[in-house]
Amino acid sequence: MNTAEVEILLVDDSPEDVALTLHALRGENLSNRVFVAHDGEEALEFLFCTGPHAERSFDPPPKLVLLDLKLPKIDGLQVLKQLKGDARTRTIPVVLLTSSREERDRIVGYELGVNSYLQKPVDFDEFRKTVKLLGLYWLVTNQPPVINVKSHLAGQR
Amino acid sequence: MKRTTASRLGKEAKAVPVVAGSRAEVSESKSGSDQLQMVEEARRLLAAIVESSDDAIISKDLNGTITVWNRGAERIFGYTAAEAVGKPMWMLMPAERVKEEEEILARIGRGESVEHYETVRIRKDGAKIYISVTLSAIRDGNGTIIGASKIARDITERKIAEEDLRGQAQVLDSGQAFVCDLKGRIVSWPSGAEKLYGFTSEQALGTLSHDLFRTGFPEPLEGIEKKLFETGFWEGELVHRKCDGGSITVSSTRVLHRDRQGQPVRILETNIDITAHKQAEQRLAGQAEELSRQAEELAGSRAALETQTLMLQSVLDSIGEGLVAADETGKFILWNPAATRIVGMGAKNVPPGEWNSHYGCYLPDTATPYPVERNPLVLALQGEANTAEMFVRNPELDHGVWLEVTGTPLKDRSGAVSGGVVAFRDITQRKIDEREIRKLNEELEERVARRTAQLEAANEELEAFTYSVSHDLRAPLRHIGGFSKILSEEFSPDLPPEAQAHLRRIENGVHRMGLLVDELLNLARVGRQALELRATTLNPPIEEVVCLLQPEAEGRAVTWKIAELPAAECDPVLIKQVFQNLIANALKFTRTREKAIIEIGSREKDGQLVISVRDNGVGFDMKYSDKLFGVFQRLHRAEDFEGTGIGLATVHRIIHKHGGRIWAEAELDRGATFYFTLAAAKPTGISASPSTSKTAAAGAQL
Repeated sequence: MNTAEVEILLVDDSPEDVALTLHALRGENLSNRVFVAHDGEEALEFLFCTGPHAERSFDPPPKLVLLDLKLPKIDGLQVLKQLKGDARTRTIPVVLLTSSREERDRIVGYELGVNSYLQKPVDFDEFRKTVKLLGLYWLVTNQPPVINVKSHLAGQR
Repeated sequence: MKRTTASRLGKEAKAVPVVAGSRAEVSESKSGSDQLQMVEEARRLLAAIVESSDDAIISKDLNGTITVWNRGAERIFGYTAAEAVGKPMWMLMPAERVKEEEEILARIGRGESVEHYETVRIRKDGAKIYISVTLSAIRDGNGTIIGASKIARDITERKIAEEDLRGQAQVLDSGQAFVCDLKGRIVSWPSGAEKLYGFTSEQALGTLSHDLFRTGFPEPLEGIEKKLFETGFWEGELVHRKCDGGSITVSSTRVLHRDRQGQPVRILETNIDITAHKQAEQRLAGQAEELSRQAEELAGSRAALETQTLMLQSVLDSIGEGLVAADETGKFILWNPAATRIVGMGAKNVPPGEWNSHYGCYLPDTATPYPVERNPLVLALQGEANTAEMFVRNPELDHGVWLEVTGTPLKDRSGAVSGGVVAFRDITQRKIDEREIRKLNEELEERVARRTAQLEAANEELEAFTYSVSHDLRAPLRHIGGFSKILSEEFSPDLPPEAQAHLRRIENGVHRMGLLVDELLNLARVGRQALELRATTLNPPIEEVVCLLQPEAEGRAVTWKIAELPAAECDPVLIKQVFQNLIANALKFTRTREKAIIEIGSREKDGQLVISVRDNGVGFDMKYSDKLFGVFQRLHRAEDFEGTGIGLATVHRIIHKHGGRIWAEAELDRGATFYFTLAAAKPTGISASPSTSKTAAAGAQL
């Protein structure tokens, strides 16, 4: 998969969750351009085009980041913080998709600039419905900011 | 008197008639020597008679000059014949009598005869004498009155005796003594008796005295008379009636009079009214009786007083409290054995200023000598009731004792302070106990603090645990559910029906487990969250809950009876949770009913708001009611009614957190009613956390 075509960055350490999420996305034909990061570190490397992803360009950015909270190495809130704290990645929509129903996490997430916060429903039908809605909304319905990161960045420099 | 004189004269001189006759004869006879001799003889005789007479024989001329003065006259009047003859007669007369003499002389001069009379004369020595006088005219040969002869007799003694008698008679008359004859008839009735009895002489005289007086005799009359006649005297007390009917008591004395021959002649009775005396005597006797009764009473009450004193004394001796009393001068008037035992010393009359030092009184720091002016007994003597704690240590009490002392002023009837009393108890043991308790309390506090820290740590652990549960437990669940779903959906055509059924069971298990985890998280969160109390109207959350549960009621006949509930001080989020769980239960357990009825109401009980949720569902057996609110406790089989057994535990925890109480009444197949209150029945001083004390305050407002 060409990382340049990545539309969704899925950050989840659980292969089961990844499989289920991808299964759900597959139903909507959205699963082809998904890149899965299995921990926070990998997610940041992908987003900031470092490490194994040094070849990757910031442009075009993924259309959506589905971020779990509990992640090995660097947890989801930490990832979110760095992502929203950097001008190069700030505009990327991030949805926290997590098992946690903890209010605290939700509040911190919004404070850090998350675009949406969803609890993964235990029931698979509902899960599937949620993921489908998410994909369609952020990839189809939602109008992303005019993406010309390069010029944007050039302008800033 | 006249007769007496005559007879005497007659007696002494038989010759007088002869003389008189002879004078007549003389006047008629012829003169002769014989005759002359006879005359001379007669004269001598007469002269001798005159001279020897005891009576004064005086003659005077019409001028009143004394011409004859015999020896009797000399003896009576004190003048000799020589001194008297030729002197005027009036020299013998008191001034007031001169006129009388002149009158008499004039009468004699006129030839009138003057009977004898009694008069007063003055002796030579000036003494007044009474005389009886007989006057007769002296005529010359021609019958011409030339003077008067006077025969006077000294009657002074008799006169005095008479006056004495008269005086005595007057005295007798004014007295009360009266005379009876021997038969008892009254023969004399003096005015004194009349005055006493009121009977007149007419009524009294001749009447038997005891009839007149209606005498009440103390002894038979015969006895009285017998004694009177034997001894001549009787005395006793009698009761007499007066004329006006009034009764008097008299002291009666009867004296029998006898004549010279010794024969009884009369009875003198003297009665003295002693009624007043008698009454006084009776009063006196009454008073004496009263006095003796009072004395007896006094003796009785004194005995009672003594008994009481003894009793009080033994009480004072036996009580454990030390009692010490002092009079207003600070002198000890009471010091009971307990006092000696407690302070180790007996009463010693040292001045109040030295009490503290003598008995070793110290302030509670056990080192500072007790201030004199604050000594409880000193304060009591100043009229101030007081209580104090005191430490006493003296040579008799090495280790010292703690005393609790109460001082009270003693007051007399007028309310003035007349002394003071202190009661004291040995509270040494209590002090030790208090110290022990304080120590225990400190230890306890320390332990509580330690335990609290442990609890806090445990809470934190629990928090971490629930966080994990919320995240880590749900994930595998979701995976199981997700993959079994995918399996059944995408591979079911390849699976035998039995495998498909197993997949469905897996999915059901996942669903139930999901509910369990959610509710457990809920329960944990309720425990962790702080209450946010505010006045909350209860109907809106109920309506929201009913609305939320509408899908459950879909297709069923459910009658809601929701009363207008008052506002209550509670956490609005949690109270909604309570209604949600209770109403969901009510809906669930009425599922088998053709017509479900769910009632929500409230009432006041003991000043508390009691809210109830009632249903007409399957109910439960009250013998399991104690399991109702336990976590994971279920009273119904899962096939009949699904559930986790956490819902009521959560409700219970919320209510408990509010300080309220929840209970249920039910009957198998006859419905169930859940009741709850939102505040403690009574505000208590003990509060485990600020939130519960807030609840208590809210309860007081309700």
